[in-house]
Amino acid sequence: MIKTALKTSLPILFGFIPLGIAFGLLFQELNYPWYFASLMGIIVYAGAAQFMAIGLLAAGVGLVEIAMSTFLLNSRHMFYGIAFLESFGNWNLRKLYMIFGLTDETYALMTSINIPKGFDKKKYFFFITLFAQIYWVLGCTIGALSSEILSFNTEGMEFAATALFVVLLIEQWIMVKRLLPFMIGFIASFIALMFFIDHMLIVAIIISIGSILIFRLVNKSHDE
Amino acid sequence: MNEIEYLLAAILVMAISTYLTRLTPFLMFTPGKENAKLNFVAKNTPPMVMMILVIYMLKEVDYLSTEIFYTLFALAVTVGLQILKRNALLSIVSGTIVYMFFVQM
Repeated sequence: MIKTALKTSLPILFGFIPLGIAFGLLFQELNYPWYFASLMGIIVYAGAAQFMAIGLLAAGVGLVEIAMSTFLLNSRHMFYGIAFLESFGNWNLRKLYMIFGLTDETYALMTSINIPKGFDKKKYFFFITLFAQIYWVLGCTIGALSSEILSFNTEGMEFAATALFVVLLIEQWIMVKRLLPFMIGFIASFIALMFFIDHMLIVAIIISIGSILIFRLVNKSHDE
Repeated sequence: MNEIEYLLAAILVMAISTYLTRLTPFLMFTPGKENAKLNFVAKNTPPMVMMILVIYMLKEVDYLSTEIFYTLFALAVTVGLQILKRNALLSIVSGTIVYMFFVQM
């Protein structure tokens, strides 16, 4: 099972290593010891928030503001757990860790894959979560340790993250095969981009969930 | 508070904030209690979120420059391979290599 989880998690590797390196490289500009970049990857583990933190730390903003900006930026994660209320199992350390590791990428991957027969879903998800975080911490560390020029030109590697979500979008289509949620996501994204570009993700998710609930309500009243 | 203390405090604060966002739904809802509405949301959120994430990743693309062409090309490679082969790794790596090739040209 560990082997299968490793193989399943590999697409995240290609997203997290370059993104982590990019973070580590930027982190160097703050002139803190490299291992604080690793520490952030280990205990914060949030891509976008870590990038934002570099700017906030450089400006020396207050802790309350850091807490609030991080919370706002990551507020979309409040909707991710709903998909795993049952599959993460009973409360224990493993569940607490899987909740901790619920990033955009692990959420996207774990809602798009089929569990092989005979596998314990909780354990399978746990290993995917663990491997994903290892990739992220590795990326952050490599980036923070490397001198300014990496021997390998990583420019454009960030496309891997886009490609991962595109692949998972296709897998979602194969699983769901109903146009409505995709249409809603599409339209909500553009509304959010037009009016709330700074908080696009959270606004788009709220509009989407609100809209699909309205559709459900309308359909129900039709049935009755 | 010296600089290292500030950094450590900031990291701690960020860790707590992030964890709280991820923990919230697990504290708010009890699983499987025949909550039809919640199951409906849980089932429909992944396709919506995936669509939103893809658009989010592409929103910075400058559609007035050549970037749009190689972005579309790399996307076509990724989508085409995924539909044909259903091998996530292959689709992602191929699309990314194509993209990197054009960016670094």
